Amino acid sequence: MRVEERPGIGGRRRISWFPYLSLFLAVLWVVAFTLYPLLSALWYSLNTYVLGRGIVGFVGLGNYREVLASQEFWHSLGVSLLYALLAAPLETALGFGLAWLVHLRPPGYRAFQAIFLAPLFAMDVAVGYLGVTLFSQQGGLLDHILRRLGLEISWLSSTWGGLAGGLILDIWLWTSFCFLVSLAGLSTLNEEMYEAALLETKSSWTVAFRIALPVIWPVLSLAFLIRFLEALKTFGLVYALTSGGPGTSTLLLSPLVYLTTVRFFNFGHGSAMGFLFLVLASVFIALFFRQLRRVVEA
Amino acid sequence: MGKEVWEKAYALLEAYREGKLSRRHVLSGLVRLGLGTVAAQRFLEVWAQGKLLPSAPEAPYEAPVTPERVAFLRKKPYQGVTINILILKATVGDAVKYMAPLWEKETGGKVNLAEVPIETLYQQIFTDLTTGIRRYDAYMTGAWFYGDFFTTDPPYINPIDDFLKDPRYPYWDPKEMLPPMRELYTWKGQTYGTLFDADSQVLYFREDILTNKDYQRRFKEKMGYDLPVPPRTMKEMHDIADFFTGWDWNGDGQPDWGIALHAKVNEQGFFHFLTLAAPYVISKDNPRVFWFNPDTMEPLINSDGHVRALEEYALFMRNGPRDMLGWTLGEGWNLFLSGRSVMEPTWGDLPTLAQDPKASKVKGKVGAAPIPGTTEAYDPLAKAWRKYSLNRVGNVNGGSWHMVISRFSKNKEATYDFLAFMANRKNYFFLITHGWTGVQPGVKYAFFPPYGTGSVGEWEAQGWDQHDAIAFTRAYYENLTLPLQEPYLRIPGAAEYWRELDVQVSNVLAGNKKAKQALDEVYAAWQKITDRYGRDKQLKVYRASLGLK
Amino acid sequence: MRSPIWRSLSFWSRAFAYAFLALWTLWTLLPFLWALVNSLKAPVDTFSPKFIPVLDFKPVLDNWNAVLRDPNVVKALRNSALVGALSASLALGLAVPAAYALARHSFPLPNQQILLWFLSQRIMPPAVVLVPFFVLMVNLRLIDTVLALVLVNTTFTLPLAVVILSDVFREQSRDIEEAAQLDGAGEVTIFLKIALPLARDSLIAAWLICFAFAWNEALFAATLASDRAVTLPFLILASRSTRGVDFNTAAVNTLIAILPPVVLSFFAQRYLARGLSFGAVKG
Repeated sequence: MRVEERPGIGGRRRISWFPYLSLFLAVLWVVAFTLYPLLSALWYSLNTYVLGRGIVGFVGLGNYREVLASQEFWHSLGVSLLYALLAAPLETALGFGLAWLVHLRPPGYRAFQAIFLAPLFAMDVAVGYLGVTLFSQQGGLLDHILRRLGLEISWLSSTWGGLAGGLILDIWLWTSFCFLVSLAGLSTLNEEMYEAALLETKSSWTVAFRIALPVIWPVLSLAFLIRFLEALKTFGLVYALTSGGPGTSTLLLSPLVYLTTVRFFNFGHGSAMGFLFLVLASVFIALFFRQLRRVVEA
Repeated sequence: MGKEVWEKAYALLEAYREGKLSRRHVLSGLVRLGLGTVAAQRFLEVWAQGKLLPSAPEAPYEAPVTPERVAFLRKKPYQGVTINILILKATVGDAVKYMAPLWEKETGGKVNLAEVPIETLYQQIFTDLTTGIRRYDAYMTGAWFYGDFFTTDPPYINPIDDFLKDPRYPYWDPKEMLPPMRELYTWKGQTYGTLFDADSQVLYFREDILTNKDYQRRFKEKMGYDLPVPPRTMKEMHDIADFFTGWDWNGDGQPDWGIALHAKVNEQGFFHFLTLAAPYVISKDNPRVFWFNPDTMEPLINSDGHVRALEEYALFMRNGPRDMLGWTLGEGWNLFLSGRSVMEPTWGDLPTLAQDPKASKVKGKVGAAPIPGTTEAYDPLAKAWRKYSLNRVGNVNGGSWHMVISRFSKNKEATYDFLAFMANRKNYFFLITHGWTGVQPGVKYAFFPPYGTGSVGEWEAQGWDQHDAIAFTRAYYENLTLPLQEPYLRIPGAAEYWRELDVQVSNVLAGNKKAKQALDEVYAAWQKITDRYGRDKQLKVYRASLGLK
Repeated sequence: MRSPIWRSLSFWSRAFAYAFLALWTLWTLLPFLWALVNSLKAPVDTFSPKFIPVLDFKPVLDNWNAVLRDPNVVKALRNSALVGALSASLALGLAVPAAYALARHSFPLPNQQILLWFLSQRIMPPAVVLVPFFVLMVNLRLIDTVLALVLVNTTFTLPLAVVILSDVFREQSRDIEEAAQLDGAGEVTIFLKIALPLARDSLIAAWLICFAFAWNEALFAATLASDRAVTLPFLILASRSTRGVDFNTAAVNTLIAILPPVVLSFFAQRYLARGLSFGAVKG
């Protein structure tokens, strides 16, 4: 069951055009469409931009210095990190659990599958607006239910309430993504192996965790990683729910960059924030990726 | 009256003006054409006054109309011309959508409207202008965009004074706009906007509750003075808010509230602060300085007056549900409209929505008054508190959405024609009396006698309760004609400056920061923004926006 | 039909599993039901504790009427469908061969690094590149066109698809491929006739993910389009006006926006979670 990197199928090195062309086309597309925007943003990050007058001065790393020194940036980054650290594992675990159960094809599994996929197609801002009415303390459904259970939270008028509300909605929205990816991963498994394993261990838990999980671990950990990255970039959901308030306490990084760049046309700062984030996150996933792969090899 | 008849009547009036016919002759001529005697006299009067016709068949959607316009329209002047306008989606944008086909019918022109969500309007306008695309002839704009329009020389927008002088365009007179509103549509003495929305915040209250004899008696017992209807000072407003908080005064079995606020950050909640802070800083001894020092561009936002204003504004948080800190406009209005709060300082949307039984339970009960004043105001330049018997300050806070013409438009005439069409009295009247347009009145004639020539019957015909209509328009008029007005911030990056203030006000309301510390942080943030835009440039624009040299 | 594992579970285990599934079903449906309730409320009832139509409040059809009468809705539905389907298909068309290549071959650069590069395309907050993309589309004369949105969404979802599918291919058993190779089949043949069909479920899943992303994409949709190419997210953003957010209309738009893809995925899900019970690989 070990996943090995083998050069070419069958162990023979073949220089064939097909893989090179395939990869090349994909890379070409991405580069063609992102090169100009990224270079443009990079150039902006090295200058001061003022609406109406355009670029007014070259400041080199000045924007980067200011962003690194700004409390707002670090706060947004920290909140985004916290948010992602809570959301991604929960969603991945729940997604896998649901996918596993559905994968067992219990009665009605098709209906479950269709329903569980539905949130994937809900727009984040729409869910945020819905959340405002769900968590409103003046007649919101969730607030009402939870209050009956004794839990009174200032959902949209406190920092922790806002983050909690956002997380609840995030989990609702994105577990379906992890569910789908897990399902895709599980679909490649060979079922005969289950029968064989069951004969040996007689425990479905063992089959799930000792056999299925390690095989789809790469896909699953990838889903986690992707979900983590996306959660760091969460924008519409929380922004529509809390507008970043109270103050800027629930302002995640993406909305901060959005306001800076698009609302205030401060391209210099906004781009610098983007690139700083890019560097930080890239380092993180590079390390994480390596750790992940190590687990698999073990 | 058919077209031929009109031609003959027109000829008679022209002859009268040229001195070829006597008045008696003209009148009898008009009567013979089919006009009643009274109508004939009125025609002649209007004609003699200002060369305006009450109406004309060539211009079925305009009233009054100049004869030059009538002649101009006869040849369908904009046949084949297409103009592109960027507007907001919903409310004020819908108003433009409604008017466009009418104009097209009259003039033969074509109007393309691009509707965008309010979230992206600013960005759409300025990427259009700064990236050289320049697709639009006119933009719907908020008053605070003006500073950004004037960052270039010549500015991005086109003045309309020359058009105003030309009688071939639809008739409207900017001098009829109430002064503080007129100021928002002009820059350095030149007019840029055509009459449209006129926003300002006044205090709305439950007149039925405040005039309730039993409650009045209890108020006097508790507070020691007669319940003022409406409150005239901040202290009175606070007392009323405190008094009506925490018990059931509307009979629904739930304790109710003294005030409703839509205080969510990023949701125009900070306008509450601006509106309520005005009388703490603006006074007859300091009528124009609220934002920055007009000589150094140093922010004044953390002056003692501003600090006290914020501290007292924050006290209102105890007069409403705690969660109003996170309320959008709709939620804030809902508390008042569902009858659970006694007061709300906000825009004219509130009484408008109050007339709709699907949105409100308080139709007929809405009183209104200008924002209460103070007995003590701080002069931030002299750094001194001064006492007044009653210092009241009006405001034009809000968007005051209207259209401006792009400097790059290739069809400025047709564009102005359409914009002026909507500013013409007949159309404008339609806009302000129909609530769905979101257009609030800003001209003198729109208000009821004794101020203007509007008629409450028009409003009632649109579903307004008479009491509410009168209360609303009277308070609105009073607010817009107060001699002291809070200056509106119209410098480049206004939205950014406001954003910093918004965030810190929210922090204070949440109890996370003290007012002084919060405003000191706003001060620091504003200094940074000013430096980025260029201190000298900002100072120049700031002074221009205030009308200083 | 049932997986051998399910058959092996005890009654209580099955009950437990079922309870969990049922609970999550309820949890998933709740917001949709709430959106329905909201869509039937008059504004005055929106922020009061009224939950059940007819019993708690008088339902009104105004919100539905207003939206269904708006000609923009049909236009937005059509555009969203086009943008979603085209960008997902294009993204997959490019991603699938590339993912396969990364799973089966080595390149001058370590595959891991290439994958990381693709993954890193997903890091940049989109707001940073918004205006440059706008300028790019202006120069290509593609402002307010469906094509512009297709290009943008393909660019954004392509890396995601590559990364996910690469792992799926790698996980996939190679026995048949190797057998075919020994029989002398060419690479492309193996790819098309063996690897792809085996991965069909995952391909569908990836397509759905890319489609969902494009269907829900709001930022670029609102910036690059203003009239002809408006999509459903644009309409939802437009729920906010000078009068604040219209939650009731937003609820209607939310339900309208979710209906077509859910129906679509309902038909597509026949192909998911089938596992390999029909056993392509049998020893």
